[in-house]
Amino acid sequence: MTKKQMTIGCGALFLLFLPPAALLGGEPYLISLGSRIVIYALAAASLDLLLGYGAMVSLGHAAFVGVGAYTAAILSYHSFAAEPLFAWPFLFTGSNSGLVVLPLAALTAALAALIIGALSLRTTGMHFIMITLAFAQMLFYFFVSLEKYGGDDGLSLPARNSLPGLNLGNDSHFYYLCLATLALFLLFASRLVESRFGLVIRGAGNNNRRIRGLGIHSFRYKLAAFVIAGGSAGLAGALLANQTEFVSPGLMHWTLSGELMVMVLLGGLGTLFGPVLGAAVFLLLEEILAIYTEHWMVYMGPFLILTVVFAKHGLFGFLTGNRGKNG
Amino acid sequence: MADTLLQVSGLNKSFGAVPATNNLSLTITRGHIHALIGPNGAGKTTLVNQLSGDLRPDSGIISFAGRDITRLKSYRRARLGIARSFQITHIFENLTVAENMGLAICAGRGHNFRFWRHWRSNAAVARELPLALKRVDLHERADMAARHLSHGEKRQLEVGMALIGQPQLLILDEPMAGLGPGGTVELAKLIKKQKGQVTILLVEHDMDVVFSLADRVTVLVYGENVATGSPEEIRGNPLVRRAYLGEEH
Amino acid sequence: MLLVIEQLLNGLQLGIALFLMSAGLTLVFGIMQVINLAHGSFYMIGAYVGATVAAQTGSFLLAMVAGVAAAGACGCIVEVLVLRHLYNREHLDQVLATFGLIMFFNELTRIVWGRQPLYMNVPDGLTASIELLPGLPYPTYRLAVIGTGLLVALALWLLFAKTRLGMKIRAGAANREMVGALGVNVALLYTLVFGLGALLAGLAGVMAGPILAVESGMGESILILTFVVIVIGGIGSIRGAVAGALLVGMVDTLGRAFLPAILRTILAASTADSVAASLSSMAIYILMAAVLVWKPRGLFPAHG
Repeated sequence: MTKKQMTIGCGALFLLFLPPAALLGGEPYLISLGSRIVIYALAAASLDLLLGYGAMVSLGHAAFVGVGAYTAAILSYHSFAAEPLFAWPFLFTGSNSGLVVLPLAALTAALAALIIGALSLRTTGMHFIMITLAFAQMLFYFFVSLEKYGGDDGLSLPARNSLPGLNLGNDSHFYYLCLATLALFLLFASRLVESRFGLVIRGAGNNNRRIRGLGIHSFRYKLAAFVIAGGSAGLAGALLANQTEFVSPGLMHWTLSGELMVMVLLGGLGTLFGPVLGAAVFLLLEEILAIYTEHWMVYMGPFLILTVVFAKHGLFGFLTGNRGKNG
Repeated sequence: MADTLLQVSGLNKSFGAVPATNNLSLTITRGHIHALIGPNGAGKTTLVNQLSGDLRPDSGIISFAGRDITRLKSYRRARLGIARSFQITHIFENLTVAENMGLAICAGRGHNFRFWRHWRSNAAVARELPLALKRVDLHERADMAARHLSHGEKRQLEVGMALIGQPQLLILDEPMAGLGPGGTVELAKLIKKQKGQVTILLVEHDMDVVFSLADRVTVLVYGENVATGSPEEIRGNPLVRRAYLGEEH
Repeated sequence: MLLVIEQLLNGLQLGIALFLMSAGLTLVFGIMQVINLAHGSFYMIGAYVGATVAAQTGSFLLAMVAGVAAAGACGCIVEVLVLRHLYNREHLDQVLATFGLIMFFNELTRIVWGRQPLYMNVPDGLTASIELLPGLPYPTYRLAVIGTGLLVALALWLLFAKTRLGMKIRAGAANREMVGALGVNVALLYTLVFGLGALLAGLAGVMAGPILAVESGMGESILILTFVVIVIGGIGSIRGAVAGALLVGMVDTLGRAFLPAILRTILAASTADSVAASLSSMAIYILMAAVLVWKPRGLFPAHG
């Protein structure tokens, strides 16, 4: 067993036994914190596909989280209000079933990623960073202006989604749903980066000019990766909407995109599992620092700068000696 | 016998007022190693960029295997069988040697929208990868990240990648640049090994290499084709001696 | 018609603030090839310091000098302490480190000035309105802002077109390698350019003080607009910054002012208002997308 497998194994065991341990220890609050960590881990790991493998520095990833979250909230709003969402080509009054909501949230976010990606990926480098940020901001303002769904104030979900065999109102059940989703994503993504598709994405991230020299038109591969990452972030968003039973434009605020990036970097770029660790450390640090000072960001900022300047390979690299694909 | 693979006629390219390629015509015969020499600033790389499609000529025609490719983009030309290696080493530094080679193998075989199966389990990769690594003597380095290779090995990898998919024309842009004597000998041997299997356009400074490998030599001065002939003819050409070789020796 | 002129002036005023922000930033991008998210922080610092000095001394002129100086000084310090270590790093590192800077500065202002926004008075003598045309009064302060902005633009043009330093900076923005080849002290030039950019951002911040609430995080909303300006104008291009800033300023202001009325002519009032609200908040991003499709490198790309 390699160090990497051991680290992942330990992490998996820890996450798997978190709910019973928290209940035994009389700290049920930890379960919902755990859910939050797992959901952000999903969003961060999906961003790692772009940042760590394709070298696409997207500063608008939170937008897709937000689109997924709003999709879930709007579907369930219409379902409870029994008000048609649209009447053509067929009558649709929303839904509160997770089997409908979660895939639809991922699809909507993927569609948003398709449009934004198709425009943004015409450019590279600094342009790409600014453009992804700008489009995310556009979606932010779009949801702010949606008075019907709460505008600035956001929208509450009447209840969590329903899933056959699970009671998502129960924090443990919900936690395991999130964990299973994360596990499935990580399985898919780690196969993905070693597939032919992944090889092209990594190649394009490393040296796009050379990819063209090989006769590969990298745009559509990058776009596909952007859509996959966006859809996965949308799924994370739908779970997040369920977890807090509330959505607001704040979910897609650009600082959240920045924080997702920080999680990826903290955990280790191009490692997929690293961002899970990064999300856990970031959210825990936030919780713990907030106990001692309300001004935790004044410490987090310089800490971040020092991490960037001096520690390049993240916590996961530190634990496993694995420096990531593009390290 | 003269089977033309690449035909360039009346090619012009200027940057501002400076002509970098000046009414240039050139014929490359299938199966030859055709060397392109010329002093610095003669426009060798500009010409190569136009042949590979990285630069668009102002006027003139480039035809490849009887087909006009003047307006084709670089990746379309690559598909037709023009492979090039770059003056500055152009490999995927962060990928392993095998992954570099695998990517080159996958590139020529349809789309790469395969999300689940490991790239190595692709039939073509499984078949060709060991041979491709062996061809450029890198099979022992297969799982090393390419950035850790020596300079000469990076060149070998690059030539190896360019050879995949049996290109009809291989453009080698100063492959010996920056190599030590040992590396040069190795790489020259490697290029010689390919003779007859692939047509090679060799842009090179090292005259010993050029004269030992080439079937035909073209001399470029100020973007103009001033002489083309066998190595012996070029060596004996007084114009060339004055314009170019005189400076070198 | 008078309303249109008034809104055009408002658009010009937003455009000028955006120009002050983007002129410096586009040079930083073009010359140092470094993406700097913390540019909005200098705007915020200018506004906070300006508001504080104005409240203490009652002199707007002093406030302006202090705000601009503080922002410029902060810029130089940040360049030396942080940015300098990022020039040869990947964009991702630059994004993260400057994101860290934003966190730091935003929180620092909360520590120093608290969470409540500061309000800055319009300077004495500029509180009235001038009747530009019969029936068109316009606040004198806003006119002064427009005038100041135009003066700064003129000064910048003189700097770039007529001085040796300006020529070096322009050369650097168009071709980075050239700066070194010209025998310039590159490190000093970088610090100067960065400081100049921060100074202009600080000026925009001070002048925005009496119009907007001075609060933590105020730099980021204008930063993102600045990015839109730079994307539209082209990285490293002052001309692009002028064109982009005016376009964005006008489209945003005119869209908000007139889209509801225009849409009401074709849609029911309530639908029209909500569609107009969405559309006008997204207008500049749609503009950006259109420019991208047409010219991916911006209207006036500085790099070939």
